[in-house]
Amino acid sequence: MLKTLQASVMALLISLAASIGIANADTIKIGFNVPLTGFAAADGQSALHGAELAVEQVNANGGVNGDALELVVYDDQASPKESAPLAIKMITQDEVVAGVSGSYSGSTRAAATIFAENNVPYISAYAIHPDITRAGEYVFRTSFMGEVQGRAGAKLIGEMLGAKRVTMITLNNDFGISLANGFKEQTDNFGIEVISEYEYSIKDREFGAIVSKIKSDNPDAIYASGYFFTAGPLVSQLRAAGIDQPVIGQEGYDSQKFIEIAGPASEGVMITTSLDRDSSDPMTQAFIEGFSNKAGYPADMVAASAHTAILVLADALARSGSLDKASLRDAIAATDLKASTGQISFNALGEVKKDVQIQIVRDGNWHHHSVISDPDLLAPPSE
Amino acid sequence: MAYEMIVLTNMLIAILFAQSLNLITGFCGQVSLGHAAFLGIGAYTSAMLTKSGLPLVATFIPAMVIAGTIGLFVGAASLRVRHDFLAITTMGVSFLFTGIIRKQDMLGGEMGIAGIPSPEGGRVGLLLMALCLTILFIIVMIYIKRSWMGYVFDSIAEDEDTASIIGIDVRRFKLFAFILGTAGAGLAGALYAHQVRFIGPDSFGFVESVTVLSMVIVGGIGSIWGVTIAAALLSVMPQFFQVIDDYKLLVYGMLLFLAMRFLPEGLGGLTKTFRKDRGQT
Amino acid sequence: MLAIEILIQGLIQGSIYALIALGLTLVYGLLRILHVAHASLFTLGGYLGVLITNATGSLFLALLLAMIIVGFVGMASYRILYYPILSRPPLIALIASIGIFIASEEVFRIIFGPFSISYISPPLQNQIDVFSGIMLSEARIMVVLLAFILLLGMNWLARQTRLGIATRASVVDPDMAMSSGVNVETIRYSIFFIGSAFAAAAGVMVSLLNNLVEPTMGAVPSYKALAIIVLGGLGSVRGALIASLMLGVIESFGTIYFGNLLDRDSLAFAFLILVLMIRPKGIFTKG
Repeated sequence: MLKTLQASVMALLISLAASIGIANADTIKIGFNVPLTGFAAADGQSALHGAELAVEQVNANGGVNGDALELVVYDDQASPKESAPLAIKMITQDEVVAGVSGSYSGSTRAAATIFAENNVPYISAYAIHPDITRAGEYVFRTSFMGEVQGRAGAKLIGEMLGAKRVTMITLNNDFGISLANGFKEQTDNFGIEVISEYEYSIKDREFGAIVSKIKSDNPDAIYASGYFFTAGPLVSQLRAAGIDQPVIGQEGYDSQKFIEIAGPASEGVMITTSLDRDSSDPMTQAFIEGFSNKAGYPADMVAASAHTAILVLADALARSGSLDKASLRDAIAATDLKASTGQISFNALGEVKKDVQIQIVRDGNWHHHSVISDPDLLAPPSE
Repeated sequence: MAYEMIVLTNMLIAILFAQSLNLITGFCGQVSLGHAAFLGIGAYTSAMLTKSGLPLVATFIPAMVIAGTIGLFVGAASLRVRHDFLAITTMGVSFLFTGIIRKQDMLGGEMGIAGIPSPEGGRVGLLLMALCLTILFIIVMIYIKRSWMGYVFDSIAEDEDTASIIGIDVRRFKLFAFILGTAGAGLAGALYAHQVRFIGPDSFGFVESVTVLSMVIVGGIGSIWGVTIAAALLSVMPQFFQVIDDYKLLVYGMLLFLAMRFLPEGLGGLTKTFRKDRGQT
Repeated sequence: MLAIEILIQGLIQGSIYALIALGLTLVYGLLRILHVAHASLFTLGGYLGVLITNATGSLFLALLLAMIIVGFVGMASYRILYYPILSRPPLIALIASIGIFIASEEVFRIIFGPFSISYISPPLQNQIDVFSGIMLSEARIMVVLLAFILLLGMNWLARQTRLGIATRASVVDPDMAMSSGVNVETIRYSIFFIGSAFAAAAGVMVSLLNNLVEPTMGAVPSYKALAIIVLGGLGSVRGALIASLMLGVIESFGTIYFGNLLDRDSLAFAFLILVLMIRPKGIFTKG
């Protein structure tokens, strides 16, 4: 509590100082819709810290071609009903040059339609809905689609771990379903047999019955989709029931909170994600350190994704050299940038092409396990 | 202008939606905690149809018919229970609705329906359609209220047992209100789908049902003008409250409580007291 | 064997539902109010459980303090929230209660932050062989035991003490009870204290099973407990208990065998609607 207060006071001071320091130069406005209240507020806060950190870093290095970046932040409560008017507001009233979504799929999809129609570039930081980039050619995504990560998960389990009989625990929402689709698409290629699949809702924290059933299924490995607040209880309940087979998750787990909730049970859990905490890359290191200084807690995937999205935009702004939206769009499309979540470039649809990081929990922290860089396997849809 | 227009359209859809519930709750005293399900039925119907090439205007009737037909079944079933039971039954219906939608791949399942086409005439067209339909619905409500049916509804809302003793077929009137109300919600849903242009199961959950019920109650159950004002205010609140940011939902919740504490008859009750005062002086 | 294990898991879940639903059904019995904000007290109990345990290292102390503190908060909620609007139609109280519930989720978020909080070293995690290979953690066993003890104590209170008898009398016929010299206000305060304390106990238990508390943890109980007390025949304590256990078991089997057709909540409500169509006044009401 005190820490977050301190952090927010610091953030306020920094942004004040920043705005005074460069009051003479022009500012470039970037719209940012993010859930700050309601059920998604936790992810929203991380995303906001990550985005603010990126803006501070850019401005500290002299801004974009001498102009400072300014984040125009709106709370969308992760609701499509709220995000649609906010998108219009950002475009017509705040006159942002581009928008970034630090929000979930529904609100991002609704806003993407409006950005696309008005020919204003829009980048989804971590919303995974497959239709987001299909809103139009001005919409991009810097995180993996669910399908791509699902395929990577299948390779990890079937090929790298050599596990063949797999139980799936699927989260019932767009994230979980698209992961499951990607996973199932590749099961034959990696010789995986899905012996059972259970579904749960995002509201569930109690998995007693499923755990009992899995114990009798006795799979070689468990592929469980979820977020840290569902996966934490799930993994601890699985381990508590004596199920010690490998558990493979995804970027939804990617938070120190997961380890905090699952405790010792989290040891050995592997995930497919995009943030490599052991990376020697100075950019990633600066992000990880900068984030925990700023936010008061360790960086997570959501924060890294928002950070990356802003940097991609800043880089494109610098390259395009003008605030013209069409040339900015083309600059984003031509991105080839090293960011906190790896080397970023886009395909024709605006989907990101990058390596999948495998992280594993060791001694109470996320650590590097391996990297999957298989452009064919990881190719996002291009139309 | 574009921003004001989209906010205004949101507001009009909220008014239409709230009035459709007001018809059920206000005219017949039936509380529904699952009204968003019918918004969803209309939204899904209309979105599927416009995606297959129909113009939005042509989907209004199907959206109303399907929402109203399902409303008929739910209404008939819920007539078996009364009062607080009814509220919980309708709540169950809304959970069942989203639960079923989640598993229907034909309706997009968890992914929802994206890429809903822009309505004819764009945002202006949608705004005008919302305006006309909302006014039309309110006129129908005023008409019902002032006709002989209005007195029947009043007597049912006030005391169902007495109404049935004096020979009113309470079931038939309640069912009528339920069908009309759910059809109205379906209509609001058709507009909603083309306003947001992305719908999914989560857009029509319990929270939406609670939100619309609070609009009706804050407005004053049965009061057409009260509910119009309450729906208008409560629907734009999250947009205007962007200023108070972190405390937005806190303020929203407290307002609901304070309204009930100090304005138990809602905004509609406020005008009534005002009129009474004037009558006395 | 597997069936027994799933049944047990269902009963554990059902015990938690029972602890939450009890206060709700008592409040309904006395005041005819659907007390949605009850779920906020469940959340508060969970937070107090984790915070006090982390500060003092004693889960027992945390449980006791959480129950007492939340009990008093419950009494205050009656005085501030419901007392002024008792004469109004029950709908008014329902919306006021929903308002408080929404606001309280935000208060939790603003005070404790949007992220979940966990036990530093989660207590009662050892596995015990209950019978022939069915392993349960101590925490799970504790849930059932605690629910059993609290409800048994409740039963004793209701049957053997003046307060209990007076309460039962006021539920059946408030006017009659009042004219026989029962102090209705005392009863209401006690009911709010007991009901809220039980909700707090449920909150502590859930925080223990999941090892996390979060601002929105009351969302599911806020509506599911309503379904339970309707299922049990509003106002009936015994009905609510049986309905809680039934729902726990149905959800438990349902998630395994019907999980691909309907999610947990929809299963629960499909069952509720089915029952209400057959018995419009709930399963356990006479007539």
